[in-house]
Amino acid sequence: MAFYLAKRTLSLLLVLFGLAILIFIIARIVPGDPARIALGPLATANQVLEMRHEMGLDKPFIVQLWDYLSGLFRGDLGKSFLTSRPVMQDIVGALPATFELVLFTIILQITISIPLGVIAAIYRDTWVDNISRVISLIGVVTPGFVLAIILQLVASYKFQFFPVTGRLDAGIDYEATYTGLLIIDSLIDGRWDVLGDALRHIILPSIALAAAGIGQVMRITRSSMIEVSGRDFIEASRAYGIPERVVRFRYMLRIACVAPLTILGLEFASLIGNAFIVEFVFSWPGIASYGVRTILEKDLNAVIGVVLVSGVFFVVANLTIDIILGFIDPRNRLREGAEK
Amino acid sequence: MIELSEQASTERFMTSRQMAWFRFRRNPAALIGATIVISVTMLAIFAPILSPSPQSAGSFVDFAHRHHPPSAEFWFGTDNVGRDIFTRVIFGYRISLSLVVGVLGFAVPFGVILGLLAGYFGGRTEFIIMRFTDVMLAIPPLAMALAITAVLSPSLVNAMIAITMLWWTWHTRLIFRIVKAQMSEDYVEAAKVAGASHAHIMFKELLPNCISAISVKISLDAGFVILFGAALSFLGLGVHPPTPDLGTMVSTGSEYLPEFWWEALMPGLAILYAILGFNLLGDGLRDMMDVEV
Amino acid sequence: MMEPILDISGLNLSFTTYGKRTQVLHDVSLRVGKGERVALIGQSGSGKTVTMRAIIGTLPIPPAKIEGGVIQFEGRDLLQMAKVERNRLKGTGISIIMQDPLLSFNPVLTIGRQMDDIVRYADVRLGSKRNSGLRKATILDTLQKVRLPDGAQIYDAYPMMLSGGMRQRVLIAMALLNKPRLLIADEPGTALDVTTQKEILKLLNQLVKEENLSLLLITHNLGVVREISDRVYVMENGHIVEEATRKDIFEQPRHAYTKKLMTSVLPLYGKRVRNFENNRQSDPKIEIQGVTKEFRGKVSFFSKKYRVVRAVDNVNLQIENGDIFGIAGESGSGKTTLAKMLLALHSPTDGQIKIDGRPLSNFSNSREFRRLIQIVYQNPGSSLNPKRTVTQALTVPLKFCGYDSTQIKSRISELLDMVDLPKSYASMYPHELSGGQKQRVAIARALSVNPKILVLDEPTSALDVLIQNTVIELLLRLREELNLTYVFISHDLSLMRNFCNRVAIMFRGQICEQGETREIFTDPQHAYTRALLSSIPVISEQEEQQKPKVTDAERQAVLASSTALK
Repeated sequence: MAFYLAKRTLSLLLVLFGLAILIFIIARIVPGDPARIALGPLATANQVLEMRHEMGLDKPFIVQLWDYLSGLFRGDLGKSFLTSRPVMQDIVGALPATFELVLFTIILQITISIPLGVIAAIYRDTWVDNISRVISLIGVVTPGFVLAIILQLVASYKFQFFPVTGRLDAGIDYEATYTGLLIIDSLIDGRWDVLGDALRHIILPSIALAAAGIGQVMRITRSSMIEVSGRDFIEASRAYGIPERVVRFRYMLRIACVAPLTILGLEFASLIGNAFIVEFVFSWPGIASYGVRTILEKDLNAVIGVVLVSGVFFVVANLTIDIILGFIDPRNRLREGAEK
Repeated sequence: MIELSEQASTERFMTSRQMAWFRFRRNPAALIGATIVISVTMLAIFAPILSPSPQSAGSFVDFAHRHHPPSAEFWFGTDNVGRDIFTRVIFGYRISLSLVVGVLGFAVPFGVILGLLAGYFGGRTEFIIMRFTDVMLAIPPLAMALAITAVLSPSLVNAMIAITMLWWTWHTRLIFRIVKAQMSEDYVEAAKVAGASHAHIMFKELLPNCISAISVKISLDAGFVILFGAALSFLGLGVHPPTPDLGTMVSTGSEYLPEFWWEALMPGLAILYAILGFNLLGDGLRDMMDVEV
Repeated sequence: MMEPILDISGLNLSFTTYGKRTQVLHDVSLRVGKGERVALIGQSGSGKTVTMRAIIGTLPIPPAKIEGGVIQFEGRDLLQMAKVERNRLKGTGISIIMQDPLLSFNPVLTIGRQMDDIVRYADVRLGSKRNSGLRKATILDTLQKVRLPDGAQIYDAYPMMLSGGMRQRVLIAMALLNKPRLLIADEPGTALDVTTQKEILKLLNQLVKEENLSLLLITHNLGVVREISDRVYVMENGHIVEEATRKDIFEQPRHAYTKKLMTSVLPLYGKRVRNFENNRQSDPKIEIQGVTKEFRGKVSFFSKKYRVVRAVDNVNLQIENGDIFGIAGESGSGKTTLAKMLLALHSPTDGQIKIDGRPLSNFSNSREFRRLIQIVYQNPGSSLNPKRTVTQALTVPLKFCGYDSTQIKSRISELLDMVDLPKSYASMYPHELSGGQKQRVAIARALSVNPKILVLDEPTSALDVLIQNTVIELLLRLREELNLTYVFISHDLSLMRNFCNRVAIMFRGQICEQGETREIFTDPQHAYTRALLSSIPVISEQEEQQKPKVTDAERQAVLASSTALK
């Protein structure tokens, strides 16, 4: 197991390293001078020159790359031109909000889509299957921002169940001090009012964010359940009289959930991407809406920082899934062990 | 295993074409999908003829009719300057579809060729191509596209470039997976023994076995490219106003929520309709050709 | 007639797929007496597997539908029984040994866990309860019964850690866990090498006696039937066409289909054997001199060490013009690697191969080489590209050997003629052809550029037994007409006996014995050859008598035991 994890970690770190270099190269080869972009069209040539020096743009490319990478290693992402603060500080401030949203979304995805997929597979080709198919289709084809607007229209404006935007009502005075996640910290502090309000705020954005994944994962769960159900060892279990419920939930699901979990990991980048829109629509104060703002302002350092942090998110998510899969399916770790 | 072989023995009584037809007929969703895709394409191509008020496609202003709710005259209502939203939607489809053609026209061949190379040659070629693909997959696509368009200045072509740069990876992965599986089939070795060239084996032997998967993927992709383009312009990084673009319309319309709900909702539903069509069609093709995508 | 434990009468069953109803079983009647071993034999698609699933109750309903009939187990009709009651019998009354030892285990659970579940839920159904220690004792005890000494180790292992032979034994143990009265065995051992299969059949016979079981054997292999049954039912297209005792079925088969099955089994000894002679002038076509092939695999991700596997070890062979030279061996013996070296798909680590007197390394990239030696693969379903027509398949070697398009066209119709396929087949795709027809196309492709030598890699083993002979006849005719030399790779020694003039037996990468076919089969020298020959299931007592004798000690020495951990 340790060997398997070491190998996976190494390859994911490789991805992260490649990502850092790739982004840097893209940022440097795009047409236009980053200093000019940062200062805007009104700056004088002298100001631009000075800025170039300050940003280190007058150094050779390879030196720039080195400075950038060693900065990364120290956790220095440069300064944001939009907020005039270090990018790292901005990101750390916005991170808990995004983390909370994404975590909530993934929990929503797993708890809704896998059971529904299993039910659809069990009641294959009946009305239950058809309904779940329609649900999954709606999830897949509805753009996040359209869903967000529909949710706002119906649940917020029309019925006023949920607030339209934000993370917490302005009237509530609360500082999340432990993890930065409102839902968890308010629990620790026993502030039920805060918890309730935070939940009311997070529901719509996370539904908008989760929908696409729910549809997809449901469909994959269904098809891999059906695929597993045709395998010889499942027939064997039935022939030996193992109860149907055990066959389905212990034997089949354990293997069938490998594919949807893998997809969740792979699609994690898309999830973060969609968070850009969802945070924007719901004015959620996370790194994605920070990202959108800095992108619109062409704040290069901040943009690089945001993309890199989402890369880290991706890597951590995939590593988590690898660990889970290592427990679910011993073949993953055995294969590595067998080579030793 | 047993189940499959039993089915195979009963299926022997049908030709494969009959079976494909049976699957298609049993799957009305695919027919609906095809109908939607055709209707969207037709609307886009014949937009100037079909639209009730072609002038609404431009910077036309009619304050007398601003914020008109959907009615017999204005099917989808009018926007903040009195333009017919239905007209702007079908002109918007033109932008969406040209985005699809532009993106997939470059991304698919590029992705497919890389996938073929990685799967066929394996070894170092595979390592370089697939690790690069892994890196690309770790980037949140929307964030990347946003960043690229922002730096390049927003326009349809730049949006296209940004999306294309990210899109090929999925095709590379798909083709790589198929080719890797096919490589263990004896026909590949048989072609080598027959003296066939690498190009022949990749394009004449392996590629035909990827075609059905590619076509399903393209159909599903078309919907998602539309979604992607709309998301970009929703955030203000797409086509310049007053060119009618679905994402921009949703974005502008959402400023008038909730009173003038149709201004955001109608273009939103129009996007949904197109994506739905491509998705249903792709699903139908998948069932028909029995491929995993 | 003894009292029946299983009595099926008038069973009719149909499948409905894609809106089409197909009747799969027609009025099937079958009885298994207490303590009796009954075989149900038929080719794939004959309905024997469906019958089995109807008995154990794992048919998917729908698409399957039982339209009539009775399945009585110990006097009670399974089809009328309440579901709870029927479930109670699963594994305890009737149990099954699944066919494929590789696919029949849950890959993510340990063997112990899977067996424990089987015992535990049987207890639940029967209302008794044992604690986990007792259950484990039962499991280890059962593993002992199937002659697996390292029970405790197996208990903790995952399926992928066991060898094929061991998994087969564990499968048998699984079926026996709850002391069933009727055991159904689905093609036992057919997925394994003959030597392992032999051990498994022996074990089954012992167990039936020791455990006082009744056995229903589902198989397509007549040789297996002879070793392990008292009475036989023959099934064809969902009908039982013949029922007889074992003795009668082999000595005086009545139904035409049974007779056809009998004659399709190639004899190993006796007067039905065909001796094939090469009467061309001696002229070495292939010389293999001290050839060794090693494969290296990295030991682990971090280390620089390599693990070396020697697939072919110092092989010397000389194949004459006109020979049909058989290279026999079980899986992993290195025979396929050797064949691939002949085709220059692998290069030898050491030693030299000469073809037509020229060292392979000098000209293996030339057109000339491709025109000298070609290959026919085992499975035409895999060796023909499903997306390319017959014409397209045949064009490839021609095009790359420099034929122009008019030459290609006339050559293709010539080739189709040669392999007895109508010209209209030229535009068909592989899936429109039957297995035998596909293999003919593959042969035509191999012959397209007029090679002198064909490597035949198990060219008939993927085909139905009745088709195999026609393909062999075709190959024999073509050898004569086109003056060909064959290198025939196979694990099927009966076929080799009737088809080759010389054979070499491969064992762990080495040639342990080679010579004239007749001599090798009548007087094998090497212990492995004897063990191999004695393991082949045959269909008559005379042949059984003529098999070489091999002592248990010898067998142990040369065979990879199916009871040892991987």
